[in-house]
Amino acid sequence: MPRKDYQQQLTELRENVLYMSEVVMERLRMGLDALEQKDDELAWEVIEGDDEVNELYLELEQECINLLALQQPVASDLRTIAASFKIITDLERIGDLATNLGDYSLQADQDVFPEVDIQELGSLTLDMIEDAMMAYDEEDTDGCYEIAERDDDLDARCERASELVVRDLIETELEENTEEEVETLLQDVSRLLLTVRDLERIGDHAVNIAARTLYMVENDDELIY
Amino acid sequence: MSNENMTAPNPETEAENDDDAVSPTPGSGAVDAGDLETATASSRTVIESRDLDVYYGETQALDDVSIRIPEKQVTAMIGPSGCGKSTFLRCINRMNDLIDAARIEGDLLFQDKNVYDDDVDPVALRRRIGMVFQQPNPFPKSIYDNVAYGLRLQNKTENLDEKVEQALKGAALWDEVKDQLDESGLDLSGGQQQRLCIARAIAVDPEVILMDEPASALDPVATSQIEDLIDELAEDYTVVIVTHNMQQAARISDKTAVFLTGGELVEFDDTQKIFENPEHQRVEDYITGKFG
Repeated sequence: MPRKDYQQQLTELRENVLYMSEVVMERLRMGLDALEQKDDELAWEVIEGDDEVNELYLELEQECINLLALQQPVASDLRTIAASFKIITDLERIGDLATNLGDYSLQADQDVFPEVDIQELGSLTLDMIEDAMMAYDEEDTDGCYEIAERDDDLDARCERASELVVRDLIETELEENTEEEVETLLQDVSRLLLTVRDLERIGDHAVNIAARTLYMVENDDELIY
Repeated sequence: MSNENMTAPNPETEAENDDDAVSPTPGSGAVDAGDLETATASSRTVIESRDLDVYYGETQALDDVSIRIPEKQVTAMIGPSGCGKSTFLRCINRMNDLIDAARIEGDLLFQDKNVYDDDVDPVALRRRIGMVFQQPNPFPKSIYDNVAYGLRLQNKTENLDEKVEQALKGAALWDEVKDQLDESGLDLSGGQQQRLCIARAIAVDPEVILMDEPASALDPVATSQIEDLIDELAEDYTVVIVTHNMQQAARISDKTAVFLTGGELVEFDDTQKIFENPEHQRVEDYITGKFG
């Protein structure tokens, strides 16, 4: 393969990673909407749509492997491929977590703890992914550091939300409820805690994307781990 | 080892003095002094050029090259055709003396002694700085005599069998040829012939081995054997290798020097740094194939 085509392939790889991120973000939006609207149809669409994300992931993984094997990239080209290789793994995991939201939506009959604003947390994670991918697209290192800082805020919000739920559960006088009501409450609480945890993890994946982008642009591993 | 007309400094005082070695004036060459310090921080300098210019008639082949090559490491020289990397290699053991039109300015020091000083005997110099060429060039003699050749020239024939065996073992060839030492070196495969040439080079116990594209005429298996051997050789010798194969440079060298058009040494640093994050955009463009 001539080197001209190789540069074109590198450009296409980055475009395809951006496309995958758009698909994943759409799934996440749909998962959040399904939760908010208790929309089973939308929830199933997210869950079944995960196959498309997985296929995209495998295609892009193969693109990276082909470039590594056939072009033996070095320097910034190598960093672009290495970073992209890691970023698609993060995107695939975000896709999985979006399907979890679909699952939780199917299981939930009613909102519990409305004071925990899942939509607000979800919106923050979506913004983080979008901005991390913009940093990847525009090679914006300042943007990478910003994502890492915003994740601290997201973590704090998630922790506060979890504490609120657990504290409330402890204060609930379970003996006043029937066994069935207690079981439902425990399931609802458990599902809410898992939702918060998944959103917090999506934030972590956004930071991973920013960290790999920083490495790609400046060979700087400061944000990795 | 015979020093003949070359004066080897005391290794201990040399190590102490190394920090005080004169750095080229920053900005005077393509590689600044900071690069040089980084590249040689962990090892003693064996070969050093200072503001080295080489001309072939009116054509300048090397332009103000300053570099320090560390001891017992593999230093790779890469760059496009005509960039001067082979010229630099051939300056180290004065192979360019054989070219009438070649003119050299600046200093090229081996163990702190300028190899172009009048009192340096090029033949004696080449005993201490061996060379392996692109095409394997065994003599039309037996395997044994190929390895013993240099030793006999130097009248170092005591324990000759043992020295030949050691050299062949050092070149990772002994096990393959120990039962056919009387057979012609020319009957060996290309990869074996190249290892025989390496055995011939190390038999006379040099300090430096220069290699000019030593694997470019070999198949991938023989290339892999030579690359493994280069790694082993660097335990005992300083190896300087010119290669067109950048992946080979990345695989086998500790340091990499990048020469670009006009005989300019643009960057010299740890190999990992050069191939992951070079300082100079021109080097980045060259190694990624955007400029040739």
